[in-house]
Amino acid sequence: MKLLDQAVNVAQRIGGQVHLRSLRDAFATLMPFFVLAGLMVLLNNTLIKPEGILSGFISNATLTHWQQVGNSIVNGSLNFISVLIAGAIAYHLCQNKGYADPIAPVLLSIATVVIFMPESIHLTDVLTQKSVTVTGGISFASTGSAGMFVGILTGLVVTSLFIRLANAKRLQVNISGGAIPPAVVRSFNTLIPIMLTMIVFALFSFAVQSLSGMDVNTLIATLIQQPLKSVTTSLPGFLLITTVANLFFSVGIHQGVISGALLDPFLLNNMQENTLAFAQHQDIPNIICMAFKDTFGVMGGSGNTIALLIAIYLFSRKADYRDIAKLSTAPCLFNISEPIIFGLPIVFNPVLIIPFVLAPVISLTTAYYATAWGWINHVTVQIPWTTPPIISGFLATGGDWRASVLQALLIAITVCFYLPFLKFAERVAMAQAASSQG
Amino acid sequence: MIKIMLVCNAGMSTSMLMNKMVEAAKQQDIDAEIWAIPDAKLNEEWKKADVILLGPQVSYLKSRVETITAGSVPVEAIPMLDYGRMNGPGVLAMAIKMKK
Repeated sequence: MKLLDQAVNVAQRIGGQVHLRSLRDAFATLMPFFVLAGLMVLLNNTLIKPEGILSGFISNATLTHWQQVGNSIVNGSLNFISVLIAGAIAYHLCQNKGYADPIAPVLLSIATVVIFMPESIHLTDVLTQKSVTVTGGISFASTGSAGMFVGILTGLVVTSLFIRLANAKRLQVNISGGAIPPAVVRSFNTLIPIMLTMIVFALFSFAVQSLSGMDVNTLIATLIQQPLKSVTTSLPGFLLITTVANLFFSVGIHQGVISGALLDPFLLNNMQENTLAFAQHQDIPNIICMAFKDTFGVMGGSGNTIALLIAIYLFSRKADYRDIAKLSTAPCLFNISEPIIFGLPIVFNPVLIIPFVLAPVISLTTAYYATAWGWINHVTVQIPWTTPPIISGFLATGGDWRASVLQALLIAITVCFYLPFLKFAERVAMAQAASSQG
Repeated sequence: MIKIMLVCNAGMSTSMLMNKMVEAAKQQDIDAEIWAIPDAKLNEEWKKADVILLGPQVSYLKSRVETITAGSVPVEAIPMLDYGRMNGPGVLAMAIKMKK
């Protein structure tokens, strides 16, 4: 099993790589924020929308007033993501590197995000509609999704530097003595590392601004974030990464290792842009985003396994296949597919691996073009990945029933796609059973 | 008393296996504390465990867990079929064997 060893090796490297791990862990921590923001935008654009369902009973002014709640939540989550992610990454990086006291690096990372922000910002005056340049302010343009990559890099780099400095014995202020409380000793120990880290990044920020004329935020967004994003979330790049991830799953390694590290930052970035555009009634910029993948490529779990489940219910005559289908039904409705992946198994099953890897490619490509051609609304709302299919399509597209129909259609298509492979896998399994008995 | 910690990617499917194991422990009168965590919580949680079981989809974490725990807690990946078919009694027996 040379190939397997290699796959495990790669997964071990990626899954164990401390910065990528911390990135995944930070996203996991922040997911509730994304989901809540999505739900609030959904609510603001459906139920309490002026001229919406409730407008018969409640005045438009009141409805607009109520939207404040949702808007403030969006401001505190999506529009503040670069700050939140910097702190979350610093925390998890400390955890993963075994640094016991994360508070200083968390605060430092947040401070550095602000250090990197432009000194003056361009705003539009509401009354005159004229563009004005002001100082003394921070804009959502730098704390929001455009600054997300800065937040990620800041959290990683600042924390790494800080931990290194904090572990250097020479930089510790020695005030040891029996009567001094340990907390005081600790705060003195981190005094110099904290100040040094701040100064280093402030000087770096100053140097970048002086040399390039651009603030670090804008520089990283245009030079790194945008190019990487357009590679990973173009249709071919996206399909390639999801396919590789599912290939990993077909040898028993969770696909989240690959897609979590390579894809999620950009999918989430696209997701935020979509959600904000939806909230502001603008054109939706991206087709491929986080909830797009979950809604059309992970129906019933990795590999669109709900289709396989249905195929087994409808056409399988093999008793243990039907048993495992029964066992897997409840989790599968919530997109948890491990029971069927390991129980059937799909893993190491050369026949079933083919539709397992290709079914998501079919459904994602179809959904991509259905969106591009305007047959369904763009995916704009981040929903929990455990939201059952059919419902997930409706919610993720901001309440478009056509997306649910498309999901049903895609499930039907992939049932047909799974079917010949299922039949063949059954024949192989039965032949194997017969030969081992005889 | 045996404390068994199950680990998987999101802590979802292992929590189903956890339920089956708790059931099995009750039937066999075994005093066991069993819980499931996503792998992100490993650093915080491993100290509470007597035995760590990994879902097969995160079996690649084994060497990492061994590094974190410095080998002080036995760790093993759950066999795929036992995991997929949610064999609660089987995995419970495996965990008990590992503790000894």
